[in-house]
Parts: sequence; structure tokens; C-alpha cells
Amino acid sequence: MKTIDESKLREIFGEENIKTDPSDLYAFGSDASVHHAMPWAVVRPDNTRQVQQLMVYANDALIPVIPRGGGSGMCGQTVPIRGGIVLDMKHMNRILEINLPDVYCRVEPGVVDDDLNLALKPHGMFYPPTPASSRIATIGGEIANNASGVRSVKYGATRDAVLGMKVVLPNGDLVTLGAHTRVEASGYQLHKLMVGSEGTLGIVVEATLNFVPIPEYRCMGIANFDHLAHAGAAVGSIMASGAIPSMLELVDSVAIKAVNKTMNLGLKEVAASLIFEADGMVKEAVDYEINKMKEICKKHQGSDITTSYDPRERARIFMGRKKLFPALSKYDDNLSSTSLADDMAVPYSRMADMAGKIHEVAKKNNIIMTAYGHCGSGCMHTKILMDTKQPEQWASARKAITEIYEFVRSVNGTTSAEHGIGLSKAASFKVEKADSLRLLQTIKQALDPNNILNPGKLMQAPDDWVTATGLRYAVNN
Amino acid sequence: METKHPTRFNHLKKWESTLAACIRCGYCFEHCPLFKYTGWESDAPRAKIITAFGLLSGELEPSEAAADKLFNCFYCKRCEAACSSGVTLTDIFTDARKDLVEMGYAGPGTTAVTDLTCAQCLLCVTACPHEARFHGENGIETDLVKCQSCGTCVSICPANAVNILHTFGTGKEDLTRASARFLDTHASAKAIVFACNWSYYPDLQASRLPESETHDKDYDIYVNMCAGRLEPETLMAPFLNHAWGVLVACCPEDDCQHKNGGKRSKQQVKRIQSILENLDIDPERIQVVEIPDGDKTLFQAEIDTFIDHLNALGPIK
Ligand SMILES: Cc1cc2nc3c(=O)[nH]c(=O)nc-3n(C[C@H](O)[C@H](O)[C@H](O)COP(=O)(O)OP(=O)(O)OC[C@H]3O[C@@H](n4cnc5c(N)ncnc54)[C@H](O)[C@@H]3O)c2cc1C
Ligand code: SF4
Ligand code: SF4
Ligand code: SF4
Repeated sequence: MKTIDESKLREIFGEENIKTDPSDLYAFGSDASVHHAMPWAVVRPDNTRQVQQLMVYANDALIPVIPRGGGSGMCGQTVPIRGGIVLDMKHMNRILEINLPDVYCRVEPGVVDDDLNLALKPHGMFYPPTPASSRIATIGGEIANNASGVRSVKYGATRDAVLGMKVVLPNGDLVTLGAHTRVEASGYQLHKLMVGSEGTLGIVVEATLNFVPIPEYRCMGIANFDHLAHAGAAVGSIMASGAIPSMLELVDSVAIKAVNKTMNLGLKEVAASLIFEADGMVKEAVDYEINKMKEICKKHQGSDITTSYDPRERARIFMGRKKLFPALSKYDDNLSSTSLADDMAVPYSRMADMAGKIHEVAKKNNIIMTAYGHCGSGCMHTKILMDTKQPEQWASARKAITEIYEFVRSVNGTTSAEHGIGLSKAASFKVEKADSLRLLQTIKQALDPNNILNPGKLMQAPDDWVTATGLRYAVNN
Repeated sequence: METKHPTRFNHLKKWESTLAACIRCGYCFEHCPLFKYTGWESDAPRAKIITAFGLLSGELEPSEAAADKLFNCFYCKRCEAACSSGVTLTDIFTDARKDLVEMGYAGPGTTAVTDLTCAQCLLCVTACPHEARFHGENGIETDLVKCQSCGTCVSICPANAVNILHTFGTGKEDLTRASARFLDTHASAKAIVFACNWSYYPDLQASRLPESETHDKDYDIYVNMCAGRLEPETLMAPFLNHAWGVLVACCPEDDCQHKNGGKRSKQQVKRIQSILENLDIDPERIQVVEIPDGDKTLFQAEIDTFIDHLNALGPIK
């Protein structure tokens, strides 16, 4: 461990914005992933100037800096694998401007997604990329992970909502990227390069974001399927039909069973359910979209199809999906719901095969896995339920994940749909991007020649995620 | 991660699988009054769970600072209500506290401390809703495991001998200072609303709104840890800073986490009302309303009605 000049940090941030006690550092060593590693210090900037000063110091002293938002990343993006200073951006949390005529807002990176939506609501607007973790995820973290969510099928991911940003580079320089306009034709679109860069290229200190009007009408529906393949085919048909769902979610039989087992929701235990939604300003238009989706589900042997505009009924329809996390966590006292193989994307036509593969691999490796996700965006999620105390289970998880991502790549899918790569998905990412790895490293080198910004992530991460860091679980000897 | 050395955390041990079941999502953050106040993630509920795991697994050496993470908690259970995974956080904290106390850690965190001016009248011992005050070797003491930091003993002590040292923005001085600052900086300011953390508490406060959205606010909300604990000075202070009125939100009487909080807050407000009356000020400028847990709609409606009432009265002459 390098020594940190604490007096320098105090000079930049003031005593009250620095943490060095092991009990604080320990808490900042994890996120929502399976990883844990200790940072050397945590600092909390209030303004851009301080971020610049820190980077000048760290770049000179060759100390890693790890930007951190809500710390809700699922793949270890914020885990300080090589130690260093955690740069906690949560205090740069000002919504700077809500510009209605120009339809954009400017925010600091620590603004929490739900807070931004709360501020936009009185103006009849919302910020649509919204991940499920919106109550904790910060705009900075969402940009760095290119977060998306249930409504991204219609409104796009973070990358589509970001017009421009201010970024502090690893050498402390401040640059303005992108624009405040809806279109910008030429140049390298460097703001889009920052989206999904997982804090390895620059620190976002301000973002200009697009927002959209809250629709007058939302209608949600659900359809059950006796075969995964039928549900998968329905997804592809809906997306190819010209219908514009504002949500298209899949939950598989394992998920339904888990919700029934722990929450007693009494859902029908079928092979898969699709939850679909349409929204808009004109009811007839929403009716048209929803009927189209209903028809397609029917055509693919969907049953028990119901739809509703009523908010309470919509909440009931969505309940199974909403309660999935707690259901998985409570599934069995001896099993933990781990963020592993958590996220991937495959072409629509392979959605059902993907879910089937997940079941097959889980069974073979003696773990429990469920398939669910924003299938309208081609996104599939899973969790691995396992006894984290048993070393053999980690070995099984390692094997299962390798097999799953081999399948993802074999059907032209991609390693991460929205949760990012960090540490735990790096192995597959590196295989998938084999022919552009050098290019990625060249870009990293050009912006961060001393490799101090969130080092050891993405293409730099170790191949074996199990041993890459300590694990956040207690594993028997 | 291997378990490094045999645990001395015999009570905490039974939570091993729950500590693993916490998915570390952080959904509990923004609801915690500690996090809202300090803005440090390491004060948030998730960090307390991580600390408990670290202590149990031996990865984190027990220390004053680590113990403080577990002694600092108001037992409001907002984190539990928000938890994505059904983790009963405060039960875990309580067991961790038992182990820490056995190891000799003495907090105090957010628990009540007694100073030398204590007259040993035992009022607090009878009043404590959680049976946490007792007559011990050093006079009247607090049971660090049982204390839920409600502040009843603080407000009831005639000798002013009880204190909660770490108030995280919810203490008497904090509330007085914050409300004065709001009234001072907002020409449009009319009312101060004191909301009990258990009845309704404003969530989502971790981000700051632009000036343009807030400069004409006519009221501001301050969360306290039990409406029954609001003292006359705190309730009167806004009037001295030219507020038009004060609204107190408490829990329904049969639903108070700390037994008599609702009843006590009504008594306090009644007392202030008679002071106002003596000063020839409309007593209805201070009111108390019962808000069931989390009823945001009712809370907002009550505030709106109160502001309408103040608008009809105008400022205090
Ligand atoms: C229960 C749960 C559900 C989730 N659901 C979704 C979902 O539906 N969709 C989805 O996309 N994700 C989801 N996630 C993953 C995660 O919450 C999101 O990707 C989110 O955007 C992360 O935001 P954060 O503020 O927590 O970032 P962090 O986890 O703190 O950081 C994420 C990355 O961003 C970098 N970073 C943070 N701030 C900055 C900055 N200012 N400048 C540069 N880099 C920065 C970090 O270095 C890190 O690499 C979920 C997570 C959980 C725990
Ligand atoms: S019980 Fe309340 S004070 Fe304690 S950690 Fe939970 S939210 Fe915070
Ligand atoms: S909300 Fe629950 S599962 Fe999530 S971090 Fe907090 S305690 Fe853990
Ligand atoms: S009255 Fe409240 S603050 Fe005082 S000791 Fe009892 S529980 Fe703790």
C-alpha cells in the first residue's frame, strides 16, 4: 500500500470530508456485487475544483482513484481492487437547472435518479432510463454504467438521454463534451464514450440530460405461457410488429415459484409470464398498442391475458416482478441470492433459448438460477442462489457462468445489457471483445496514461472473478 | 473470504445467513435519518450490516468506531420497511450491541447519557418506553442494548441531566437552528412543519433542488425522532423568527412506537396554544395532526389546509 498524504487531502477537502478509519473504509470496500477490497481513504468533493485538485495530486503520486455514486453496481465496478482513494460523488448532488423550453436539465453527478424524477414531476416530465435501483443510483453511476430499466424498450438507455457533460480527466483537466442540443453531428462524440466507461476514463462532474413528458395513459397487461419458447416468440413478434411497448418484461417459472413460495402471491405456476405495457397521450393510441400486444400473445398461445389502466390493478400485475428480489433473498435460509451472471443481452429470437440454457446450466451445476428481465430490450437477468459458505458452490458458480456466457456469445449476444462489466463479468467481456481489446486499452492509455482511474476493471480485470478480490461472503475453509 | 478467527460475537452469530442474504442493494440508504443528515454512506443502514458482517467474520477488528456504527441508530426501522430483502436490521443491531457491551464497548452512539446534575428522581426510569433506564452502580444509567433513542428521558428530566449526544440533525438545537435558517432566508416563508419520523417523514432528500424551485417555498419540514419529545422552546422558536404558524405531525395515539409520544405532543401544543392566547395571538397558529405511518397524501392535505388557514390569518402583527 502506498502512503497517502492525508494533509494534502485535508487541504483539498477539509477534515470533515475525509474518512480513513478502517470501519468506514470497510463499508466503502463493497457494492452490490460479490466482491470486497479495502480502499486507503475516502474523500467527498463538493465541487469540480476539488475533483481537479485531487486528480492532479493522485496522478502525480500514482494513487488509484475510484469514483463512486450510490455503490449499487452489481459487478464490483466500485470495489478498489488495487486500493486507492474512493471519490464519493454523492455530495455533488445539486439539480442545477430544469430548462423546460429547451427540454433538458443540468445536474451534478451525485443526484439520485428518483430525486431528479421527483423534481421533474411537477413540470409533467420524467427522466426515463431509470433502473430498478433508481432510489439509490446516482446520475454519475448511471452514466458510467449506461443504466437502463423497464421503460428503456421505448425510451432508450442512459446513452440516449445524455446530451452532454463536463468531465475531469485523470490529469485534472476539465473538459466539456457533447452539447445542450438534441443533435450534434460531427466529432468523436466523446460524451457517449464516457457512457459505460465505468469510471475508468474520466469523472463526470456535470451532465446535461434530456427528459420527456409523463404520459397521460398507461395500460399494463400480463400473459401466461406454458412453454418458454412461446413466450420468447411472442417477444420477437411484438418487437417486429411495429407495436411500441413502454415495458416488456419476462419472468420464468423459477421466478414465479420463488415469489409464490416466499410471498404467497398465488400466481399461476406457468413456464413464463410476459408483462407488457403501452403508454401515451391519447387513449385510443394506447388501446391500439395494447390490443396489438394482446393479439400477438394470444397468437403465441398466451393465456389468462388481462390488461388494465387502473393504477392499483397495474400494481397487482407487476407485483410478481416487483417482489422478485425479496423472494429470491428469502427463498431458503441457507441460500444467498448472489449478483452473478446477473445480466446479458441476446437477440429476441434467442430469448427463450437463453432462458432454457440458464435452467439447464443451473440444474447441471446444482445451483438455482432464474431468468427474468427487460426482454423488450433483449435484456436478460439472473441471480445465482447458492450456499455461499460452501467452496464447492463457488466452483459450480464459476463453471455455470462460463457456460452461460459461452452460450450468450454463441448466439451473438453481449455480456452486459445494463449492469456493466466491472470485475465479475470481465472474463466473458474480454473474450467477446477480443479483437478490440487493444483498441480499448489504447483509448484508456491515451486518457489515463498512468492508469490511476478505477484501474483493474473492464479489460484490465483478472480473468478469474472468484479470486480477483476477497468475497463479501464468509466461505468455509 | 475465509472466517479469520473464532467469533466473539455469540449473539450476532445467529444472523450469519441473514447478513449473507442482504443483497447490499442500498435501498435502505435514503430512508435513514443518519444518512440523510451526514450524507456519508458509511453511516447508512447498509454500512451497519457490512460492519456487522466484518465484525462477525473477523475481517474488521472491533473498535470504538466500528462499535459506534451499531450504537448509532434511532430504531425507526425505516430501513427495514425499505429493505428489498426483508432483513430485520434493528434485530441484528441489537444482538451486535449485546456482544459489544460484553466486550466492554460503551457507546454511547445515539443512546441517552446521564450527567452529574441527575437528581435521581427516577422520573425517566418510569417514563422510558423501552425499560432502558435503571438505577445502577453509577446512579441512573441507560441500558445500551435496550435504548431506542426516543429522547423521552431527555425531555422529561427536570434537572436537564439527560442528553443524546449524537442527534444527527434531530435534536432540539438542530431543529431550532434549521427552522431559523429557513425563516431567515426565505421571504415567502410562513410555516414550520415538525414531522415525526414515524408518522410521515419526507423521503428522497439526498439531492438539492435549484434555487428557482425553492425560493418561494412557504413552509419547510423538519423531521424529529418523536413528536412527544418536541420541547416548548423548539415549538416557540419559529414564532420568534417571524413564522406565521407551526404544524406538528404525530402518530395516532394507539400507534406510537414510544408509547405516549402522540399524547405528549398534544399536551405540549396545548401548552403553547395557551401561551399564544395570553399574548393575544390566535392559538390555532400552532396545531397538531395525527398522521398514520407513511400517509403522504393526508400529510400533504393537512399542510395545505394549515397554510390556507395561515393565509386567512396573515402574519402575526
Ligand atoms: C437491486 C438492484 C437493481 C438494479 N437494477 C438495475 C436496472 O434495472 N438497470 C440497470 O442498468 N442497473 C441496475 N442495477 C445496477 C446499478 O444500480 C446501476 O447500474 C446504477 O446505475 C449504478 O449507479 P450508482 O450511483 O450506484 O453507481 P456506483 O455503483 O457507485 O458506480 C458505478 C460505476 O460508475 C462509476 N461512477 C460513479 N459516479 C461516477 C462519476 N461521477 N463519474 C464517473 N464515473 C462514475 C463508478 O466508478 C463505477 O464504475 C441494479 C442494482 C441493484 C443493486
Ligand atoms: S432503524 Fe432508522 S436510524 Fe436505524 S439504521 Fe434503520 S433507518 Fe437508520
Ligand atoms: S435494503 Fe436490505 S438488502 Fe438492501 S442493502 Fe439494505 S439491508 Fe441490505
Ligand atoms: S427514554 Fe428513550 S432515549 Fe431515554 S433511555 Fe429510554 S429509550 Fe433511550
